[in-house]
Order: sequence, then C-alpha cells, then structure tokens
Amino acid sequence: MAETQHRHRLDVLGLFDNEYDSEGYRTCSVTGLEIHKSVENHVKLFGLTAVLFMVVGGFFAITVVGTRWEAIGLLSSSDYYIHLSMHAWSMLLFWIVFMEVAILYVGGPMVLGRKLPLTVLAKVGYAVMLVGALTIYYAIWTTSAPDQAPLLTAYVPLPSSPVFYAGALVFVLGVVVAALPFFVSIWQEKRANPGGTLPLVTFGAFITGIIAVEALLGGVVAFSSGLLWRLEIVTSLDAGWYRMWFWIVGHGTQQINLVAMIVVWYFLTHVVGGAEVVSEKVSRTAFILYLLFINMGAAHHLLVDPGISTGWRLWNTSYAFYGATFASLIHAFAIPAGIEAGRRKRGKGGGLFGWLTSAPWKNPMFAAPVIAIILFGFLGGITGVLMGQLQLNMAWHNTFATVGHFHSTVVLGTTITFMAVVYFVIRTMFLREFVSNRLASLQPFLYGGAMGVTALMMMYVGILYGVPRRTPEVVSNIPGTDFSLSAAEPLFVVFGLFAFVAIAGGALFVALAVGSLLFGKRIDPAGNGDLVSDGGSAVASQTMAPRDDLELADDPNDPVHAYEMRGTFVLCLLFLAAFVITYVLNWYLITQLWSIGA
Amino acid sequence: MTSPIKPPEGNWWDQPINRRESIWLGIGVGWSVILFGWMSAFTRIGDQNPIGETYRVEAEDYRDKLQAYVDEGTDTEEGLVPPGDDVYIGAGQFYWDGLPVVLETGQEYDFHLAAYDVQHGFSVRPEHTLSKQINLQVLPGYEWIVPMEFDEPGTYRVLCNEFCGDGHEAMHGRIIVQEG
Repeated sequence: MAETQHRHRLDVLGLFDNEYDSEGYRTCSVTGLEIHKSVENHVKLFGLTAVLFMVVGGFFAITVVGTRWEAIGLLSSSDYYIHLSMHAWSMLLFWIVFMEVAILYVGGPMVLGRKLPLTVLAKVGYAVMLVGALTIYYAIWTTSAPDQAPLLTAYVPLPSSPVFYAGALVFVLGVVVAALPFFVSIWQEKRANPGGTLPLVTFGAFITGIIAVEALLGGVVAFSSGLLWRLEIVTSLDAGWYRMWFWIVGHGTQQINLVAMIVVWYFLTHVVGGAEVVSEKVSRTAFILYLLFINMGAAHHLLVDPGISTGWRLWNTSYAFYGATFASLIHAFAIPAGIEAGRRKRGKGGGLFGWLTSAPWKNPMFAAPVIAIILFGFLGGITGVLMGQLQLNMAWHNTFATVGHFHSTVVLGTTITFMAVVYFVIRTMFLREFVSNRLASLQPFLYGGAMGVTALMMMYVGILYGVPRRTPEVVSNIPGTDFSLSAAEPLFVVFGLFAFVAIAGGALFVALAVGSLLFGKRIDPAGNGDLVSDGGSAVASQTMAPRDDLELADDPNDPVHAYEMRGTFVLCLLFLAAFVITYVLNWYLITQLWSIGA
Repeated sequence: MTSPIKPPEGNWWDQPINRRESIWLGIGVGWSVILFGWMSAFTRIGDQNPIGETYRVEAEDYRDKLQAYVDEGTDTEEGLVPPGDDVYIGAGQFYWDGLPVVLETGQEYDFHLAAYDVQHGFSVRPEHTLSKQINLQVLPGYEWIVPMEFDEPGTYRVLCNEFCGDGHEAMHGRIIVQEG
C-alpha cells in the first residue's frame, strides 16, 4: 500500500516512486547528498528521454556507416543525406542536450540540496524541446525538392524546409527555458548564502549554463534569420554571415558538451573513484578561462572562409592565445591528479601507477569517464587544436578527418561520459540493479575501443587520402569520371568493421539501460555501498558506512595537495609528447604542399 | 575541503599548489605560446597560408567575368590555357566552371574562387599523391583571390567537399599542371 501511495497514476513502470520524507527529501547513500524529489524526477525525465533519442540516432548510425563503407553501399545518395541528417540531429543535439539539462539539474539544485524551482518551466522547456525535436525529424524525413536535407548545418543559401528552421528555433528556445530553473536555483543559493562559495561541480555547471545560453542565443539568430529567408520575408542572406552565426550555436553547443563533460568527470571520479580536488583555485580558474575564451572556438569553422581577415582568424581560433586550450591542459592534470592524490591519501596507491591499477575499473561509472578522459584528450583534444591552426585547417577542413575529430570529442568524450551518467542515474536515482554487472563492466571498453579505432580511421582517410565528408560515394567511384579515391578502400574496411562493433557496443548500452529499468532488481535506498570508492565489500554495501571513506578527505591537517602526483605528471608528459609529435607530423604534411596564399 | 560536491571551507584561494601541478601549468603556458607563435609566424614566413584578398561579387557579374576570361584564353584538348596569371573558377551545382585548366609549374597564379548558387568546397589534390590535399570554402557573394604556385607537374583533381545538394558527390574538375 505504502508504495502505491506516492506513485503517480501515470507512473505505470514505477520509475518515479522513490520514498521521500515529509519535506520531499531523501539522503543518497552514495553521495550523501540530500535530494529533493522535484530535482530527481526531472533528472530522470530528461535522462530517459535522452536515451530514447540515442536509440533513434543509433539506428541511423547503422545506415550511415553502411553507406560510407562503399563496399556495402546501403543507401542511395538522396536517402543518405536524409539519414545523415537524422543521425546528426539525434546524436549531437537531442541525446546530448537532453542529458545536459539533466546534468545542470544535478550540478545545481541536487548538489546544493535544494528543490528544483519553477518546475513548471522545466516541464514547459521539456515539452518545447520535444516538440522542436519531433518537428525537425518530420522536416528532415519529408525533405523534397527544392529543399535539401539540412544535415547539421543547413547552410544558407542551400534551401532546407522552412519547417526545419522553425523546429530548430523551437528546440533551441526550449533548451533556454529548461535551463532557467537551474539559474534560479543558483540565484536562490547565493541569496541564502551571500558570502558562500559554490561547490566546484556547481561552479562548473554554472559556467556550462552561461556558455550554453550564449550558444543558444546564437542559434536563435541563425535559425530565425534562416527561417525568414526561407519564407522569403528576407530576400537575401549572406552565406558568410549565416556561417558565423550558425557556428556560434553549432560549435557553441559542443563547448557545452565539453564543459558539462568535465563537470561530470570531477563529479564521478570523486564519487566512485575517491578523487579529491587538488586545487580549488586552479580548477576554478580553468573554468573561468573557458567562460572567457571558449566560444571563440566557433571560429575554427571559418578558417578557410573568404571575407574574414587573417588577424581575426588568428585571434579567435587561438581562443585569444590559447586561453581555452590552457584551461583544458589544466583539467587534464587536475582530474587524474585528484584521483591519484585521493587514492594515495587513503593508502590505495603504491609506486608510480598503483593508484590507477587498483582503481575500480569494473565499475562502469568509473571506467567510462576515465576512458573518456584518455580518448578525448589523445584523439579529440589534440586534433581539435591541430585543425584549429589556420594553416593545418586547409588539410582538415571538410574532410572525413573532421568527422573523426568530432567523433573523438562528442562520442569518445561526451557520449561515453554521459553513458556513465545514465548508469549512475539508474543505480542511484532509479535505484535499480543492472541486469548484468558483467556486461555493464565490459560495455565502456567495448564501445570506447571500437569507436576509438573508428575515429582514427576517419582521420587517416581524411588526412592521408583527402576523402571528403558528407558524401555517399567518392572512394570507389566518383560519378562521371574514372578518378576515385579507391586507395583508401583498405582503411574503409577497418573503419566499417569497427564502426559496426561500436554500434553493437552502443546497442548494448541501451539494452543495459532499458533492461535494468524494466527488469533490474530494486535497490534498498540505503544500499549501493559498492559504488562508493573502496567501500566495495559486501558488508559495506548494506550500510551507510562507506561514506566514511570519503569523509577522510576532509582532514585539514592532511591536505590533499601535499600528496604525490608523479604518476599524473608522467601521464601528462606522455600526453604532451603525443601532442608535439602529431603537431610536427601535421605541419610536415602541410609544408610538402605547393605554395598557397598571399 | 577537497570534495567537488561540497563548498570549500576556509581560505581555499591561498591553499598551496602541488609543485608538479605548478610545473605542468608552466609547461601549459609555454606550449600555448608556441602554438600561437608558430601559427602567427608561419603567416609571414610560410608558403602555405589560406590567405588572399576577398571582394564582394554578384553571381551574374562573376559569371560574366569568367566568360570574358574563357573567351580570352586558349582552348586546347587538355583544357583552357589562361590568358595571363589569373585563373577563374566558378562553383555551381554540380560542376566547376572554368575547369579543366592548363597551368605551368613555377608560375604564380591568382586563383579566383566564387560560387554561383550555394556553398561549395574547393578540394584539390594531385592524383598521384592523395595526401597532398587542401580545402578552401567557396561562398556565393564572395570572390576570393588565393595565389598558388605549383612545383610538381601532374593532374590535380578538384572535388567538392561541402554538401551542395543531392548530386554533390559527382562534382569533379581537373587542373593540369605542365612543366613550365
């Protein structure tokens, strides 16, 4: 009886029926946070919806890979562009942005132990986002002449359906509305504690929110002017002008991904890996650098455009002398150093890498973010800086290598990280056991490994064979000529095989997530002790005791910054070496070219 | 003090920073300066820069300009031999106007790039070395003049690498570079 009382009549699956006290709060046994049901239920809502969009995007990944691997040649060219558009919007926008709203709610009100204010706005934002997303799907799927499939960019003056521009505008506005309760909760917190400092995760989430609003307002300008132009209310729209505004949202949303992902890295490595913040000052300064400089990254897309000056390009693409790259280098040290120092402090790390080898690798909520950190850094981060150099961009621009770059950032980085968030939400908010712990442990390695090879192959064929992006055929056949890029065929075999393995890894994620929600055993609210770092004994999991492990971190006489970070230092030097080597190789290739430019 | 999900207590700003973290910060600053310095210096000392004058141009005017240039040039079996140092290329759905063109090594040409209709991507590589490839954006409304000087003879293949509509994949042209 008790259970049915607090279950909503629409909640037939019992997904929103946690027990709360009379005030609506419960204590999380893993994080120790006081969680209000208004926050928890909205996090669940946005997170679940995100996974559904991933299913759609994943389906189209199959058809897109099946076409680009020309040996299979699944789709005709007109179908290919439609499927590619569906894949892009599902994955890059819908899956990721719905997750990001959930992450804002976690980083803000949940970490602060507050209610979610203005829940009506959260619901309205959700509904508007959903309407926008479905409108975009409809517009893409019913593309007919003179309209073309929008892909991600819908570059004016290539016409896309006016319904598409309208849908994109609606979606973007919906995100802004959904973000408002987050900002209000920060405002309420600062009113309640005027002199107080926000927790690092909340601070990072706040920065994410500001960057998000900047990006989304750029989207409002781009998509509304695109709509007016398509409806012929505005007769001409400058192609270069549209590109600049589009990329404020197009790249800006990727910066939201980046910062949200880093916030999650701090959060999860702490909660399940025992990481500590080795320097509040340094980590917060890095977030401030992002706030000031990262939106300039949008200029990367305009490096080989006519009409903008060299100085403008150098200044913006370097994020004003690499201010944002420096910030990323800071996090690249601070996060692993947090794991290292935190684990050493609790006696969990001998030697150079003992802290790492003894880490809870079987826990996907730890393994996935660490895999994401490594793959994002080595593949996504480095290539982002490379292709963001004015001259190197000539070799990267619009080739398949670009696609490899952003699959390294938004898939190997963001998606893998967000998968860990979904796992975490399933265990600690839906309070469900995984249907298979073994498969859940395996999944991040399978997905990350296969997707990593896939992304590398994309980069190789793009840089070494000049294979363009966004095309269904050119490798084995360019219609109307005997020339082709067939030398790239062997690498496409590797690409195709690993891409399908990666898709299987993604399907495994969805199966685990949905299966656990439907069939997973319920977890006692005081359970989940095995998730807490080094609290994984059977006894500990029955009690609230594991929190004590983390409490140790608070001893002021034993500061974390005094612990050894030499393992992290060595890893960072290895990273720098890889950075320098790939930098030099890319520059070598560019200097082999004929002479270009004034 | 050290949890990212709790407010830091006390004077956290003045907490010391681990020595190795400080060293890494220094390395980070140094590397950032090198990245910027080299990119900036290369625009002065390097031979490969996506830099050139840009002019606004209407599609019709550019079409006329290109036609006048073609009329002035010499039509050969291999392609058009341009009348001077200027090479005009117009990008349209789904063809490269002005190509094929016959050029010589060791001579600097001013490539004029503009689009007639939608955005296109000027993607060039010699057919014998696919890794030597560059890509420049071609926009309607802009005439971009990018100087180029080829040092190796051969057939250079031009593809479009910006999605310009259904049929985009068939957009192909040639630049034939002969020993000068």
